Amino acid sequence: MTGWDNGVLFTIQKVALPVQPLPIGPNPVLNPRAKIDLIPSAEPSATPGLATLETPGAPGASILDTLTAVYVYSEEGATEHFGLPRSRRAAPILVPLLVGLGVAGSAAVGTTALLLASWPYFKLNFHSPIEPRGDSAPPLGSRKGLGARFPSAQSTTGQRSPRGLCSLSGYRCLPKMLPVASRVLRSASPKPPGRELLAARNFVNEASFDIKKCSLHRLEEGPPVQAVLTRDEGLKYYKNMQTVRRMELKADQLYKQKIIRGFCHLYDGQEACCVGIEAAINPSDHVITAYRAHGFTYGRGLSVRAILAELTGRKGGCGKGKGGSMHMYAKNFYGGNGIVGAQVPVGAGVALACKYTGKEEVCFTLYGDGAANQGQIFETYNMAALWKLPCIFVCENNRYGMGTSVERAAANTNYYKRGDYIPGIRVDGMDVLCVREAAKFAAAYSRSGKGPILLELQTYRYHGHSMSDPGVTYRSRQEVQEVRSKSDPIMLHKDRMVHSNLASVEELKEIDIEVRKEIEDAAQFATSDPEPPLDELGHHIYCSHPPFDIRGVNQCIKHKSVS
Amino acid sequence: MAAAVVASTARWVRVRAGVVEAARLRCQLGGSRFGRLFLLPSAAGDVAQRRHVAHFTFHPDPENRKYVIFGEDVAFGGVFRCTVGLRDKYGKDRVFNTPLCEQGIVGFGIGVAVNGATAIAEIQFADYIFPAFDQIVNEAAKYRYRSGDLFNCGGLTIRAPWGCVGHGALYHSQCPEAFFAHCPGIKIVVPRSPFQAKGLLLSCIEDKNPCIFFEPKILYRAAVEQVPVEPYYIPLSQAEVLQEGSDVTLVAWGTQVHVIREVASMAREKLGVSCEVIDLKTILPWDIDTVCKSVAKTGRLMISHEAPLTGGFASEISSTVQEECFLNLEAPISRVCGYDTPFPHIFETFYIPDKWKCYDALRKMINY
Repeated sequence: MTGWDNGVLFTIQKVALPVQPLPIGPNPVLNPRAKIDLIPSAEPSATPGLATLETPGAPGASILDTLTAVYVYSEEGATEHFGLPRSRRAAPILVPLLVGLGVAGSAAVGTTALLLASWPYFKLNFHSPIEPRGDSAPPLGSRKGLGARFPSAQSTTGQRSPRGLCSLSGYRCLPKMLPVASRVLRSASPKPPGRELLAARNFVNEASFDIKKCSLHRLEEGPPVQAVLTRDEGLKYYKNMQTVRRMELKADQLYKQKIIRGFCHLYDGQEACCVGIEAAINPSDHVITAYRAHGFTYGRGLSVRAILAELTGRKGGCGKGKGGSMHMYAKNFYGGNGIVGAQVPVGAGVALACKYTGKEEVCFTLYGDGAANQGQIFETYNMAALWKLPCIFVCENNRYGMGTSVERAAANTNYYKRGDYIPGIRVDGMDVLCVREAAKFAAAYSRSGKGPILLELQTYRYHGHSMSDPGVTYRSRQEVQEVRSKSDPIMLHKDRMVHSNLASVEELKEIDIEVRKEIEDAAQFATSDPEPPLDELGHHIYCSHPPFDIRGVNQCIKHKSVS
Repeated sequence: MAAAVVASTARWVRVRAGVVEAARLRCQLGGSRFGRLFLLPSAAGDVAQRRHVAHFTFHPDPENRKYVIFGEDVAFGGVFRCTVGLRDKYGKDRVFNTPLCEQGIVGFGIGVAVNGATAIAEIQFADYIFPAFDQIVNEAAKYRYRSGDLFNCGGLTIRAPWGCVGHGALYHSQCPEAFFAHCPGIKIVVPRSPFQAKGLLLSCIEDKNPCIFFEPKILYRAAVEQVPVEPYYIPLSQAEVLQEGSDVTLVAWGTQVHVIREVASMAREKLGVSCEVIDLKTILPWDIDTVCKSVAKTGRLMISHEAPLTGGFASEISSTVQEECFLNLEAPISRVCGYDTPFPHIFETFYIPDKWKCYDALRKMINY
């Protein structure tokens, strides 16, 4: 007898006699490649001429082991060849199992689907119809994270508790039930009944919210304390903030996989700043910021693909892979600057150009709380005020300059007052509407020719300074968690939209899914795009110069510089 | 306790992240020339310090309270852990953080030094030294000269991490020694190893002139060496001949010294060429005699540095040597340097003057 030939074919030659049951060995179905040693079985076969080849039953062998029995029918002198295709080997045992499982499973799925589909209908019958809810601000007092840290900027709106269906526990279930129901039914019908259900809820087209009053320096009037948010705007801000958030998290992931190298400064937690400012300005206005620039790069119109590909250093990136995280540029967006504080005088220069060309554009010049102590910032304040440049200085105060908290770095932590003769506004940077209103106010102020103005956005970053900073050696995890749970900009915006019936949770979840997909595609592109060719090493040193050889190592590869 | 664990995890993560670069450098160096020995710090017993870091150990006289260390983030130990434990040892009035202002840091340091204290200012990366360029060049370098020796800021030493590191890109990889070499009045020193770093840094601190001490940041993790615990001084402005030779002189400083040592051994094996390897150590004022004597002996010179070719310090050495040793030269002086581009992000491996480029230049010089 020969053994298994790769588990598929075996040859049995007839043994003289008597034919004895020969256990095969390990279960050939479950372990097809096992070497089979043919062992005579103790039990004699009942039928002469019939050999039962059984697997040697180990003590406690499962029933499946013994199910495999190969019956040999042969005559004397004959040689039988058995080839068992894999599929058929599994069939005898698994078919009844599968059938049983299938029946039970389909019954269960069907019942669940029926229940879920009809649940909302039951619920609606039991409760009063949902009323459109107007002015319902989320309870700002509950945002203790930032409120406690910045006691001088307290909310002046009254506490508002959510009314109507939201206060009932039933509302908590509804977000879970509805999307499942709609997804289940979507497969059944082209127009999901969930949507009809939602349409029946009558979304409002816009809602007005109370926002935090901003502290003012050298200003009589500040930004309005009420903001109107339309449904479309709300969805757009949500999508943009979610995109920035997901993009930063994806960059984190890619960095840890060493697909992104070098420096990577992430912006998650600060999304309201970039989305709020972008909402307040025109594409023809100008923005310049420091190295934590991915959010603004997206806001200024670059796709996530271009940003992630630039991070991974591929030629599909916005800087052809030559700039990296800190040097991303777009139309009317001047980066992305690595040297701390160096972008502020540059921003003033851009503002001068705006004034000079007379186009009523402004320049938003952003820097951080660490950079606020650089000398060149104060030189810039002076120039901007002296010449009344349309420059809006924005200090994104995320409370830590790398690892140094603002108390340890600055003698005066009221960054909005540091402009001295320049009027200043302190803004809650975690509330996208607050940022938008303040930015609108500031842009209007500067555009009208009154000169520079300073915004301090009080915000927070969840990640450390860069990817090499865990972010917890100089602040506690609880602090990060507290801000994340109480003041997360996306969460606040979402709550606002849902409570005021501007959108539903399910709709926002769909946006989440869309965003996720976009980010995945972008990451796929960023990982698979080729790197820039080596010739790019020397390009774009000078402008419009005839191509020249880059001087470098003598007698080595000659690189040309072309621009 | 938890903070310590987290901090050590963070260090572990950083070390792991640096492993690739260290491995690359080791490949470049062709195996470790150094023994795997502990760096014994002055703060002995601190386990965290017994790692493969090439930072210096600071030995001021504890009785003399005139030494101060300051810079961004030096209090907790610094971003490269160079000043770990110093604040606890010497007190927070002597080891303190400054805000984010390089111009302020150096200007402030000059003031401290003028008043008789010894100021050791740290610039977090050499790439950030440029806001302070005016203070260094126009104030620190000229103080003694312009006051007719009435005042001086000789007690100032500026330390900055320097050089390519594998992932630094434009603003964490620069070598700005050439900019400062153009300025009489200051001294510029670049060590190549832990032993050299300690001796040279202590010499800089003791020296009565403002000094800039550039520390190759890639060697913080990659270089391991046994270093005496007691203070010792290596004289400035003296180049060191690491290896005697008769055919070619190779000159470099900092990280590049290890590259040219590798090149020297390659040349010996493959070409049968005997190379004299010189570590310049002090860029300004540089040891003209040692280099010229060596070139007079060998007749060929190759200088290598990471900074761009045009206006790099190799041009100064080349020019001086051709003046002094013109008739001894048997081949044009070869400079193997970085390209005349900003330090690239994605192209770094192609940019730096690695051992193959140096070997190729050497071969062409030999066959001239």
